[in-house]
This record gives sequence, C-alpha cells and structure tokens, in this order.
Amino acid sequence: MMTETYTQLRLDCGAEFAALPMPGRRTATYEIRVLAGMAHEPESLGGLARIVEETITKGTEQRSAQELTDAFDALGANVGSGVGRESMVFRCSCLPEYVDHALGLHAEMLRTPSFPQEYCEVALDLAQQELTSLEDDPGELARRLISPFAYGARLGRHELGTRESLARIQRDEIVGYWRDNFASARLQIVVGGAIDVHKVASRVDQLFSAFGGSDGRQAPLTPDFSPGRRHHAKELEQQHILICWPGVPMTHADHPVERIMLGVLGEGMSSRLFAEVREKQGLVYWVGAWDEHPRTSGRVFLGASTTPARCDQTYKTLLREVDRLAEDLTVEEVERTKIGIIAKTQTHGDITRARVGELGSDLFFYGRPVPVAEKNARLAAVTVADVRRYLNDHPRDPLCVQTLGPRALEDAA
Amino acid sequence: MVSMQSRFVDHTLKNGLRLVIEIMPHVQSAAAGFLVRTGARDEEPRLAGVSHFLEHMCFKGTPKRNWHQITIDFDNMGSTYNAYTSKERTFYFGWVRVEDLEKQVELLADMMRSTIPPEEFDMEKKVILEEIAMSADQIDRCVYDLLHERLYAGHPLAWPVLGTTESIARLTRDELHGYFLERYHPANMVLIFAGNVDPDDTIRMAERICGDWEARAARPGRAAPPRLTPGAHSRVVSRFKQQAIALCYPAPSAVDPDREAADVLAAILGGHNSRFFWNIIQEGTAPHVAAGRLDYCDAAMMIAFGFCEPDRADELLAAMRSEMKKIADDGVTDDEVQRVKNRTRTGLTTEAEAPYYRLMQLVQDIDALHRPRDVAERLAAIDAVTPAAIKAYMQKWPITGEGCLTSLGPRHWPENAVSTGL
Repeated sequence: MMTETYTQLRLDCGAEFAALPMPGRRTATYEIRVLAGMAHEPESLGGLARIVEETITKGTEQRSAQELTDAFDALGANVGSGVGRESMVFRCSCLPEYVDHALGLHAEMLRTPSFPQEYCEVALDLAQQELTSLEDDPGELARRLISPFAYGARLGRHELGTRESLARIQRDEIVGYWRDNFASARLQIVVGGAIDVHKVASRVDQLFSAFGGSDGRQAPLTPDFSPGRRHHAKELEQQHILICWPGVPMTHADHPVERIMLGVLGEGMSSRLFAEVREKQGLVYWVGAWDEHPRTSGRVFLGASTTPARCDQTYKTLLREVDRLAEDLTVEEVERTKIGIIAKTQTHGDITRARVGELGSDLFFYGRPVPVAEKNARLAAVTVADVRRYLNDHPRDPLCVQTLGPRALEDAA
Repeated sequence: MVSMQSRFVDHTLKNGLRLVIEIMPHVQSAAAGFLVRTGARDEEPRLAGVSHFLEHMCFKGTPKRNWHQITIDFDNMGSTYNAYTSKERTFYFGWVRVEDLEKQVELLADMMRSTIPPEEFDMEKKVILEEIAMSADQIDRCVYDLLHERLYAGHPLAWPVLGTTESIARLTRDELHGYFLERYHPANMVLIFAGNVDPDDTIRMAERICGDWEARAARPGRAAPPRLTPGAHSRVVSRFKQQAIALCYPAPSAVDPDREAADVLAAILGGHNSRFFWNIIQEGTAPHVAAGRLDYCDAAMMIAFGFCEPDRADELLAAMRSEMKKIADDGVTDDEVQRVKNRTRTGLTTEAEAPYYRLMQLVQDIDALHRPRDVAERLAAIDAVTPAAIKAYMQKWPITGEGCLTSLGPRHWPENAVSTGL
C-alpha cells in the first residue's frame, strides 16, 4: 500500500480542513460537513434539518434554483448531500480541474441561500408525501421506530419528522436554522484525489472567510437508552426484527474489538449469523449485525426479516449467537475477520470518493485524519481474549427490541 | 492526466471458454467473475426461478468444498463477492487484492462445478421463499414484476427472476441439476477480469483452472418478445400506501445503435436536474418520479414511472404525459444534452478508478454486444448524441400516445384498466 500524506489545518476562516492527495487519480472529491443535524432542531420542529438540506440547494442571492443546479452540471460535478443526527454533509466528485469552481458554487450556496418561499412550501409538501412512502419501506420504518428508544428523543429523531412537526415549519424556521447553525467555525472540509493541497486550502479559506458567528463549538450530545420490547402491527409478508444495545464510541480503545466482534457475527457469508440463521436453519434471506455512532457514543444492532411463523425462532437464534461468542469464539474467526476488513481498505481504497468519505469521518469522530495503517494496526492487535473481555465489559442486556409486522414476539427470552 | 483508454485481451481456451481481461495498471486490486448466459427468460415455465435458485446452490457445495468452506475461503481473502441473476444472465464475482486473484478465480471456478448438494436443497428452498416474501413487501419490486408479467405476457421475459412461491415449492433437486448440466459449461460462459493483472499470467492461470472443463453445445437460442401493445393494467395491493405508476413505450434493445440517444433522452426527461424533477417533483406532485430504459438483447422499454399518494395518480400521469408530449413536440436543447455529457464524463472517469465498477460494466457489454468497451468508447458514443439525433429518435421510437400503463397500489386505477389479481 502506498504511503499516505495527510494535511490537517485550522484555517483562518475558522473551518477545520484535511486533505489527502492521491497521485495518479483521475478525479477529486470533497465533503463539506456542517456540524448541525437533526439533534439541533427545535424540539417541536422535527424534520427541519432535512428541509434545510433540501431547500438550501434551491437558489442563492445570485442564482435561481435551476441556475445553481445547471452551474454544477456545467462542471459535470456529481453532487449530493445528506443529513445526520449531528451533522449535514455536502459532497462533490468532479474532474480535478473543476474543484475550485465547484467549491465556489458550494460556498455561494451555503453562504447566500435564498430559500424561495415556493420551494420551501414544496419541500414541506413532499416531506409529507415521503411519510406515506415510508410506510411502504418496512426496513426504514423499523429503524425509525426503534431510534427514539435506542438513542433517546433528541438523537433518535428521524429525518422526516412527523406530520404534525412538518405542519409547524414555515420559511422563517428554515432561515432561522440556517442562520443559527451555518458558520465557518462549524465546518469541516475534507478533500482528496488529484489535488494541489495548498491551493485548495487557500481557496477554501478565502471562500468561507467571515462566514457566520464565531461560536463553533457545541457540547457533545449524550444519548438515552430505553430498553424494552415493542411491536408495531402492520400487514406485511415478513416480520422485521431489530435488536439494540449500547456499544462503545468510535474513539474508545475497544472500538476495534467491537468491530471484530461484529465482523465475526455478521460480516461475510462465513459469519455466525449468516451461517446459523440463514444457511443452517433457512430462517431468513436477510440478516445482519452492525454498529452506529453518534459522535461520542455507540450502539450495536442486530437485524433480520422473516415470515411471521418463524419470528420467535429467529429472535432466539440471533441472541443465542451473541451469547455463543463468549463461549467458543476461535482464533481463526478473529483472524479471518481482520483479513476481511484490512483487505477491503486496499480494494475499496481504489475509489477516491470512498477514501475521502473515510477522511471526513475521521475528522468528525477523531478530530484528525487517521492513517489506514494505524487503523489496521489496531485491528490486527485484537485477540480472542479481547473479544471475550469486551463481551464481559459490555453485556448485551438489557435490550431494546423492535418488531414490525403481523404479530408480536411470544415470550422469547 | 492518466489516459481513459484501456487495454483489453480477448482469448478463448481450447474448450471454448472465453476470457476477457481489462488491464488497469493504476490500481492495487483486481476483480473477476464468471458470466453464465442464462437467466429467467431461458427457463421453461415449470422451472420458473431455477436460474436464481441455481445461483444460490452454487454457493452450497463443490467436489472440493462444502458450503461453509466456500464462505470461509471467500472471507479469508477479504473478498467483496456475490452473485446475481437477471432475466438474461447469471454472474458470480469477487473483488480482491491483486495477490489474491488466483485464489479468487480458483474458488469461483470450483463453484461453477457445483455438486448441487442434495442435503442442502430443501434448506436453500426456505431461504428463497423468504426472499420472495421480502420482495413482496417492496412496492418497486412488485411493480417491476407486474409490468413484465403484463407487457410481455406469454413470453419468457414475463416470468419473475425469483420464480413464484408455487414454482419454487414444487421444483426438485434433479430438475435443478439437469438445468445446471445444460447451461454451466464453456460455450455458455465468459470469464472476465479487470484490474492490475498481467494478461499472460492470467491466461495461464485460467488454462490451469478451467482448461479441463468439458465442451458442450450452447444453450438454445431465444425468441424475441412481441412488440409492446398499448393498454392499461392495474393490480390492487391494499397493504401498500402509495400508488406505483409505470408508463412504457417500445425502445431500442441493448444492441441497437439508438440506445445512447434513448439514454440521453431518458436522462433529460427523468434523471438528475431533469424535466420531471423541476416540473413534477418540484411542483409537489409526487416525491419519486423518474425515467429510464430497461433493455434486453432483443427488446427494451422506455419507462416513465413514479410513486404517489393514491388520490394523485391522475395528476401524476397527466404531468408525465404532458412533459413527454412537450419534449416530443419541441425537442431538447443543446444545454440539456451537454449537461448529460458532462455528468457522464465524470461518472465514467470515476468508474475507471475501480476494477469492481469496470467488471460490472464489462459483463453488460460482453453479454449484450459480445465485446468489451472501454470508458473512452462509451464516452464517445454519448458525445455523439445531438438534439437532432434525439428528435430523430423520438420519431422512430415515439414516447407519446396511449402507451402501456401499469399501476399497482391500494386503488384499482385507472378505471378502464384491466384488473390483474395476484
């Protein structure tokens, strides 16, 4: 693997900046992360952050909505955005010669949005319709249902809000959220690929100078956790099961251990859940184990969908497999999981935007670029004993369980 | 700037197994996969779903490995691997570090000699029945299956890739094994590579691993489907909350030279920054509306589709028809075409970065066109499209008139539609 040379700067404008030049690449990617997300919405205005993310693209003081979109298209820029619990990310991949221009358009969009009244109304109307669409997406609906219990009311908000909260949002609230949260001191900007680092850093500094207030720091948000078993009745062919318990933050010394534990459980077809729940018992088509991370905390999830008559057996088998890890985990399983994660850093590392996405995640969680070699070394050091200790230190009980479908779980242990 | 030109090596082993290798010296990984030229449209009705079932069974046992060893060997390489089955093909693939390529190919090749282990058959049947149940909860999958069922009625393209609960329940292991013996041999397969590989070493490797496979006759030819006939079909599924609408017109197939004009038109009509986006979605009519082309080796359809509140189905259909009429009457602008070209250039340059992306494109080109295309050739084909070419396209392949309308959701809609039960 080639040596990576990162640059990290606190720019004069107040934004955090990190870059990874990748010689030989044919594209460049950047991400602008605004440190404001769903958790920063006023309590009664759920869905506001996503409406801001949507409507901020609908024109600036200089350009109409379509002119702005056309300007990105003139560069062939592949742009996108997303809203999370604690941040909002605006992404762009383009040919290297267009990075400066694309950054200029993004700065114009973030600094001088016009939030046209008609587009604000349409965004709110479409969000109401998206709530109807959500009813036809059982996987996402199950995640929405478990989130307030897995994370608490504030970090567990869903991006679409509710029909009632959306009805309370007006253009003034949209503009207010932008004014309160968008400032260079709350920006993290990462860039990678075929770039001249110092030129891009200078350009970013200039574009975001004197943007917004100086209050960039926000207190870390602590999630709540409400264990219990809950069911949402719905006519479906399959029953969806989600199981959650607290894990460790990304920065915790045990995070690599948690990753290995989850890999043994759910990564690859040789993983325990895939082998036991699907291959040996034929209970499911889909089963998985994964972690999710607010900035300073973590949650572990197991999930599966199965026909209702097999729901109880699936639930028991999922938990049994977690318990069995502490009893008979093997060195081979741990080593295989390490190889899987480390090898994918090389194969997927061929994709510029994947590497830049990881860099953005590093800045958000760790406050610095973390070289791939450093992450891989931490994973490589994990032993069977570490996983057993982790399971002892972070027991799965009490659980937060959500089912969605025709029937509730029986009295499964 | 690194050139977008690629170097291909095309070689056929003595037993008829074709190899296509794209050499990508600028990457640190390699991807490989076996294309098997058989899919749902190549099945007899009593075996509906057998191609997809077989794809699952190839992961279940070989002369050298049981199912658990297959998965362990994939994961011991850290491979990004999987397989898929479509109407026209089955594809097995893995993406690994360059040094693991030979092990990856050996494993995939071993799976192509599957024993279809009888003791695993009934268990895997349960998994597939779960997959069918999962698909039945997804409105987009349901409308996709419905429009094929109605628009290609009586032709194998109408059959669902997964089969049905009934066809899978009655399928036997011997029937599946017989289908496997007929289709999984060199004349019906292509081994495709993309990555930082040496072509001579790769050919020698393939010869060593696959050179003793028995040559047999290719699968039977395919009959072209009838041209789409206008009409409306509706299926009521009361558990869905949205109404799905698909309006289809005949379009150029995967091998037709008009395909690029069709794709640029579809992007202008219903892609990113499109007319549907600004004039339908951003008018608040529906949150999800798009256009695209679904193509096969001898047929295709241009589809305008959307998901809306059930009581707004008339409004959505009228809006889609209005935009399609406007574009048919007035054509497209130079700016609209140029924007699609600009986005395509970036997309293709990104694709050229990763062997995995290239492999997924190569399998389509080799299956349909029987030859690989590099990103430069594909970009040139899009660059050649002009507003005049799109105008000419719409005269040859109209996107106005009654069309074939398919609707699925809680309403029987439109009222004059033929009602189709589950």
